[in-house]
Amino acid sequence: MTDTPVAGKLPGTGATRPGLAATLSRRAQDLLLSDYFVLYLSLAYFIILIPFLPNLSNPANISNILSNMWPLLVVATGQTFVLTVGGIDLSQGSVIGLTSVIAGALLATAASGSVLANAPIWGIIISEEGGLLAGHTGAIWIGIAAMLATAALIGAINGISVAVLNMPPFMVTLVGLIVYGALAIWLTQSENIRPLPESFIQLGKGDIVSVYLGEQDEPRIPRRQIYSFVTYPMLIAVGIAIAASILLSRTVFGRYVYAIGANRRAAEISGVPVRRVIVAVFVISALCAAAGSILYSARLEGGRPTLGEGAFLLDVIGAVVIGGTSLFGGRGRILWTVFGVLFFVLLSNTLNLMNLSSFHIDMVKGGVILGAAMLNVLRERLIRERSR
Amino acid sequence: MKKLITAGALALASSAAFTGQASAATICFAFQDLETEFWVAGHAAITTTLEEQGHTVIERNANEDANRQLEQVRDCIAQGVDGIIIIPQDGESAVTIVGEAQDNDVPIAVFNRPPSDLSRGIIVVADNETIAEQAVDYLVEKALEDADAGETLQPLILVGDLGDPNAVGRKNGFYNAIEKQADRFETPIEVATEWDAATALSNLEAAVTANPEIDLVFTSSDFLFPTIRSVFEPRGMWKTRDEEGHVVLGGLDGDATACQLIKDGHVDATGVQDLYYEAEAALDAILSAIDAGEYAPNVVIEDPGFALTADSITDSEMDMWGCVLLAEGFLDN
Repeated sequence: MTDTPVAGKLPGTGATRPGLAATLSRRAQDLLLSDYFVLYLSLAYFIILIPFLPNLSNPANISNILSNMWPLLVVATGQTFVLTVGGIDLSQGSVIGLTSVIAGALLATAASGSVLANAPIWGIIISEEGGLLAGHTGAIWIGIAAMLATAALIGAINGISVAVLNMPPFMVTLVGLIVYGALAIWLTQSENIRPLPESFIQLGKGDIVSVYLGEQDEPRIPRRQIYSFVTYPMLIAVGIAIAASILLSRTVFGRYVYAIGANRRAAEISGVPVRRVIVAVFVISALCAAAGSILYSARLEGGRPTLGEGAFLLDVIGAVVIGGTSLFGGRGRILWTVFGVLFFVLLSNTLNLMNLSSFHIDMVKGGVILGAAMLNVLRERLIRERSR
Repeated sequence: MKKLITAGALALASSAAFTGQASAATICFAFQDLETEFWVAGHAAITTTLEEQGHTVIERNANEDANRQLEQVRDCIAQGVDGIIIIPQDGESAVTIVGEAQDNDVPIAVFNRPPSDLSRGIIVVADNETIAEQAVDYLVEKALEDADAGETLQPLILVGDLGDPNAVGRKNGFYNAIEKQADRFETPIEVATEWDAATALSNLEAAVTANPEIDLVFTSSDFLFPTIRSVFEPRGMWKTRDEEGHVVLGGLDGDATACQLIKDGHVDATGVQDLYYEAEAALDAILSAIDAGEYAPNVVIEDPGFALTADSITDSEMDMWGCVLLAEGFLDN
């Protein structure tokens, strides 16, 4: 008598064969744990919505989604390091505001006394003739260096407070959010500083390659039909993301970050220079915030003390968490953050296209971030189960 | 070429042209928030009129975030809207957003909060300096009537966010009026508000504690009257015109609260922006530009405004948009 194949049994072996449900469950788990899960999710979301939102797939909208992605990606890259090491950096928003003011104060090509006369920097760093560096050779690079140096100092203070003084990252960076934000507002008495030099503005909105699709019917192609393809913000953001990805995944420093995030005590016992790494991580986060500030200040063409306020941190942390970086530390990849930012920007764009109010948009965003955090917990559990 | 259209000239042109022009268009209406009565009423006037004329309105609320507003306007441009009306977060971001729209061949109108550079876009703006001066002239007259001969009085101004040209104009108008009687007034106390009620509350409390003898108060926006009341009332300074110790009080906007307070006797005058005229002018200009295929119309449309005072309210009540809203039960809602 031959063995009749029975569901769940492998013929002749007696071993259990996985059923359909088990196979599907396994596949779903594989998908959930895949590096590309959020990318697949973004693509599925995009395709599903196209019939309902025809403008979603038009080239102008896609170009728009990408342009909104780059500055957020730069800031989120820094946050990825901090979350991976098991911390959180709430001060990124205030670093953006403060460094934006520094850019304005140093680089502005003119300024109005009627607006800034009450600001403590008036007459010292900025005057009717513009910022301290206005008109000087290499002013932009010196200005950017000043922004980055300020950010690095703030990052170091955050890092030392966390690593050496053992203060909770949440509290340290929350205080930083308030203090540096207030400092930015005090320096200009809440006023914005413009105009900035054109070469600086190009960093935030300059096109390198633009495309026009279709035949040219008129001598002058309307500007709205020319789509930005390669831009300076894109190059800056992609460059930072690639460098960060290499640093996190291909270097000893990156392995230290994962080790500390997974178990700080074990990392210390293993000889990992925990304090130095944590300080470096907070410095990286602040530097990324400053780089983001360059892009945001340039696209808005002014130094703005309130830049990075409001729901901005929700966008940054939300994008990183949606990407899959663990809120508990020890797991995170820059590639995931790229996909998280893509999904987050796509989500914002589609909610706008649905003509929802800003309150509904923030509620939906909050719900999605909560869902991502729950998925995060599920992924952690699956990883633990598979590693047994 | 930059054009300056005065209210009189525009009134002639627009009254005929406003109704029924422009084929159905899609208009993006991007506003920074609706935190005061003025913006709520302006929002309603613009959206209702456009929809009644058969146009499609895409609304975007930036929730007081300039970057978000820029992204929203870019979204609108990507959707292929025919025109944009914005209430910007501030004068600086307005310049950037107007440039973004015009560079993409989309006509744009800026409603009431002007860009710091007036050379681009359809800009509908109240003549804040003149309106404030008219209102404060009246306050000065009333304060001096009540004062002893030769007595010097202490004025106080609640200053708006000086990044907003409206706030600068209102402050200048206040000083123009005070300086006409410079020998009768001490140096004015300036209270920074940043257009934020909480900031205004703490700064005004500090100022009044340090200087309890204040004779005249001008707020750069009517939405701060409840804040002033909450500081004055516990100190016994919230009195009507007929009561001893009344502080001469005025503002600017012409909202429903100001209308009620003038009637009650707590407020003496307010400068009025003609909101309905401004909304009509903005819509007329943007729809005309769309019809004419003009991508980058540049024009400044001025609303001359007026001052509504305790003496003129009986005759001119319904000229003020806030009194119209009040009569419709706005404050009850």
